[in-house]
Amino acid sequence: MSKTPKNNVRNFCIVAHIDHGKSTLADRIIEMTGQVSQRDMENQILDSMDLERERGITIKLTPVTMYYKAKNGEEYKFNLIDTPGHVDFSYEVSRSLAACEGAILIVDSTQGVEAQTLANCYLALDNDLEIMPVLNKIDLASSRCDEVAKEIEDIIGLDASDAPRISAKNGINIEDVLEAIVNKIPAPVGDDDAPLKALIFDSYYDNFKGVICFVRIKDGKVKVGDRIRTYISDKQFDVTEVGVFSPHLQPRECLYSGDVGYIAASIKSIEDTNVGDTITLVNNPAPEPLPGYKKALPVVFSGVYPLDGSKFNDLKEALLKLKLNDAALSFEPDNSMALGFGFRRGFLGLLHMEIIQQRLEREFDLDIITTTPGVSYHVYKTGGEMILVNNPSKLPDPSEIEHIEEPVIKASIFTPPDYIGPIMELCKEKRGEMITMDYIDARRVCLQYKLPLNEIIFDFFDSLKSRTRGYASLDYELSGYQTSELVKLDMYLNGDICDALSVIVHKEKAYARGRAIAEKLKDVIPRQMFEIPVQAAVGGKIIARETVKALRKDVLAKCYGGDITRKKKLLEKQKEGKKKMRKLGSVEIPSEAFMSILKIDSDN
Amino acid sequence: MAGIYVHVPFCKQKCTYCDFASYSREIGKAEAYFACLLKEIDSRALELKEKTFNTIYLGGGTPSFVKAEFIGATINRIKKVFSVTSDAEITIEINPGTLDEQKLAIYKAVGINRFSIGLQSAYDERLCSLNRIHTAEQFLYACSLLKGENISVDVMIGLKDQKIEEVKATIDLAIKGGANHISVYALTPEEGTPMFTTYLNGELPSEDETTELYDFARDYLSTLGFERYEVSNFAKKGFYSKHNLNYWRRGEYIGLGVAASSCIDDRRFTNTEKIDEYVHCLLNDKYAEIFSELIEGDEIKNEYIMLAMRTSEGIILSDYTKNFGSDFLIDYKREISDNQKYLDVCDYSVKIKDDYLYVQNQIIINFMKD
Repeated sequence: MSKTPKNNVRNFCIVAHIDHGKSTLADRIIEMTGQVSQRDMENQILDSMDLERERGITIKLTPVTMYYKAKNGEEYKFNLIDTPGHVDFSYEVSRSLAACEGAILIVDSTQGVEAQTLANCYLALDNDLEIMPVLNKIDLASSRCDEVAKEIEDIIGLDASDAPRISAKNGINIEDVLEAIVNKIPAPVGDDDAPLKALIFDSYYDNFKGVICFVRIKDGKVKVGDRIRTYISDKQFDVTEVGVFSPHLQPRECLYSGDVGYIAASIKSIEDTNVGDTITLVNNPAPEPLPGYKKALPVVFSGVYPLDGSKFNDLKEALLKLKLNDAALSFEPDNSMALGFGFRRGFLGLLHMEIIQQRLEREFDLDIITTTPGVSYHVYKTGGEMILVNNPSKLPDPSEIEHIEEPVIKASIFTPPDYIGPIMELCKEKRGEMITMDYIDARRVCLQYKLPLNEIIFDFFDSLKSRTRGYASLDYELSGYQTSELVKLDMYLNGDICDALSVIVHKEKAYARGRAIAEKLKDVIPRQMFEIPVQAAVGGKIIARETVKALRKDVLAKCYGGDITRKKKLLEKQKEGKKKMRKLGSVEIPSEAFMSILKIDSDN
Repeated sequence: MAGIYVHVPFCKQKCTYCDFASYSREIGKAEAYFACLLKEIDSRALELKEKTFNTIYLGGGTPSFVKAEFIGATINRIKKVFSVTSDAEITIEINPGTLDEQKLAIYKAVGINRFSIGLQSAYDERLCSLNRIHTAEQFLYACSLLKGENISVDVMIGLKDQKIEEVKATIDLAIKGGANHISVYALTPEEGTPMFTTYLNGELPSEDETTELYDFARDYLSTLGFERYEVSNFAKKGFYSKHNLNYWRRGEYIGLGVAASSCIDDRRFTNTEKIDEYVHCLLNDKYAEIFSELIEGDEIKNEYIMLAMRTSEGIILSDYTKNFGSDFLIDYKREISDNQKYLDVCDYSVKIKDDYLYVQNQIIINFMKD
């Protein structure tokens, strides 16, 4: 295929609040441009991981190149870059935005502007993108396009009067969107003859080709055989393949400025191709990299241990493989008195953690134990030294601690005014401090809070949703560290400390949380041959106690005659179940127990 | 020695907890059924002519519900074609509402010498709610007919709102009726039975409450001179059920009739539950097996242990050695030491301590090999 003139290229992404129809619109656009035949069309084609499709979320970015014959008779090349929709991945979003000139802003015309609509929109504005609003879900009876168009104008300050009004689901008015892309989104600028500057906005590991870097060529060109280097990791490679996405990889001879495509260069480690890094040519390097690189920092930490201690190496292999595909995942060896050898992993957020969790179980068929997630603390020792602690069991003795600082976030909560009360109450429970409260219009308020991160990684989002009947939405960013009175809460099972269950909590919450964890453990630990005391302690002092009563009846009924085969199966099943348990001292604990204490509603 | 089990899949009406192969509207098929049963008896006897049998057990359903002549003919044929010892234990399950003098006369004439009566409860309201067809009074009447015979009585625990008083009254009634063997079964709610709905509605006692009833029954029976020789079975000395002990020693047995299971030469097989299918197969000179499995290697030991551990004797070391040619104490050294708290180990046997017999699964699974 001949090179499309730069004027006829459109690089854009779609931003939206979760569930406002982003992936569905992407599907329709791909379909309309004939990129994928109807027959091959599987809904939400860009969400290629099973997990993504199942959960209706986008985790990995998947770009696609399409050709569209516009009403003006000219053919345009569209590069659509899909973006993850969750706050955990906002850095990835910002980098893919940097690869575009424009963004389609989808707003659900039944819901209006939501927190992420705004957050993503601001991200797009930060990247100087032309924003093109689209009102979706007009097929629904509750659609209120005029109001929502006004909302977009009032809240975001964008003219939405001529925004296409569509139903992505039913394929209504999709052509309006395509025409708007042609007419509203600017063509890329860039100089083919300048030194190469290619922005890496995502990458994944392919077993045959090595790391595939998803790039936007800002300046210059790149072809097979070029010797390239990265700025941040400062590594050199020989390009083995370049191409575009259709949405599967389709090799091309050369990528020019303005193009979105991929580069493969037999790169062995994904850590050499950090998202946000710039690729240039070795023999004609650009003087400086593209701006905006940030290292993805993990904010949530949890331990992972194989259920069967002998599977440590399998777990390690699996993590290494996942890491190939997920630069944001970090891990280091860890060991627990209770659980043996495992890893401490860092995640971008809870969703990221859950995803990794499920991928370990599904893709690698591993039985694992995940410990309660926590955050990373700055612990100042009496000697003045500061250490980072992200594992409760590594917290120094209280006598050695001068003070502890915990990470805090700035949360923006959007809500109808009716729920301000419950939200303020919730934030207070979570040790939040209000920063501002703005009435956006009569029906919408934005509350900004400073909240400790470790309070929101548990159940904050669920509580927020349930207390506002789903109306409130949340966006947050890390905003630093603050001093806090924190203590380590230890759990004892049958008199033995179980370090894997320890958590760091605020002093004033230790009692309530200790009680809640003890109660929860009492419920999830199956009754065994003996009574098991479950105790919570702070600094060696017991603050709560529950008891798992001894088992009294566990016997096969009427075991004679023909029943034997069936009864034997029952016993075998019971034996299998026992294998899924982890023995801590003399107590057997189901692996879910470690996660279940996560789900404790702090209210009780 | 081996056992013979005969299944009689007919009953007057179905109890609310029953999930056995038993049909209340199929009595019209009894003639055909017993004719086929005789065919199966003849044919199996030919295959098993090397084996000697010392127990026969007629279970159901309600064997006492069908014409006694069918029962008589069945026992006679078994005795004629199988090698049955002269002192064989021959048991029939009896529903008190179906026994009369004429039936009993035939049973005795063919050599039935043990009568297992389903009483379940001494309370008439309970019997009615379980859809039993008899009253406590009828139980006593049946016992009066059976006076002097070897009587076993079934008692149920774990019923809705059941109190210790009911269990005591039921045991007392069983004793009054002359029982020298009592089985105390905890209700197992099986899917597909009316009782399962009761269970799903949370109306059945908790396991702890059922255990209270069980512990009471165990202690009470002990004061009455009944020994617990298996987790659910209690008897006066000399009245243990040989037929059931054979199951728990992992002995061989042949099952005849619908839904009957067998274990012969380490092959376990089971007949269809459907009367029509059974009849059809037999009329076409085929067995009606729907399941067959050869038990091999460690599986045999798993079964042996799972069954023997149910009994108060436990694993008899000499019997183990006879079966497997090795020493149980060596084969299971680690398991025994890991579970020693729950076991009585002596030169003669390894058994689960009395106090832990009712939580035996927890111990048994530790002895099962993969």
